Amino acid sequence: MPAPVRRSGLQQEIISLYRACFRAARLKPQENRVNFQKFIRMQFRKHSDVKARDFATIEYLLRMGKRQLETYSNPSIQNVHV
Amino acid sequence: MFRALRPATSVYRAALYKHAAPARPVALTFARMYASSGLDRNAIENRVLDILKGFNKVDVNKVSLKANFNKDLGLDSLDAVEVVMAIEEEFSIEIPDKDADEIKSAADAVEYVSKREDAH
Repeated sequence: MPAPVRRSGLQQEIISLYRACFRAARLKPQENRVNFQKFIRMQFRKHSDVKARDFATIEYLLRMGKRQLETYSNPSIQNVHV
Repeated sequence: MFRALRPATSVYRAALYKHAAPARPVALTFARMYASSGLDRNAIENRVLDILKGFNKVDVNKVSLKANFNKDLGLDSLDAVEVVMAIEEEFSIEIPDKDADEIKSAADAVEYVSKREDAH
């Protein structure tokens, strides 16, 4: 039995947020879903150069990400342009 | 303008009902199949592997049941999240975060889906 992956709390939070974002994208109109997915990937990947030890930045970005998710979770938002 | 459309809608609706009546026995057989047997393991394997092959980051030749998402297929933790989400959609199930984190290879995914009786 393989040992479970050890992840820091922050890393776990990022993964949960990523999942939550994709779940939110599922509630969008079918034809626009791809745009949301592209947007989410872009938002996460553009900070991939942040150092793993840079907790302050990571925490800040997590807060930003959560706020952004809250914004586009609103059902009135139907599409996103990337 | 809209009144002109109305007869057309009712004709359509009548057609719908006519169609729905003979469909009933079919729905019953389907329910029985669903309750008696789960999914065929081979079918699950093929569907999971097809999902992986569909990812543009994945080298189709490296896809196998034993392939670890990270070590063999070169996917990072975020890609792995997307793979698991795709599996959710394919089998119409919702995988809780705790279980999703433990799915690290195609074999893990097949194992998990075969245990879920609501997968179809």
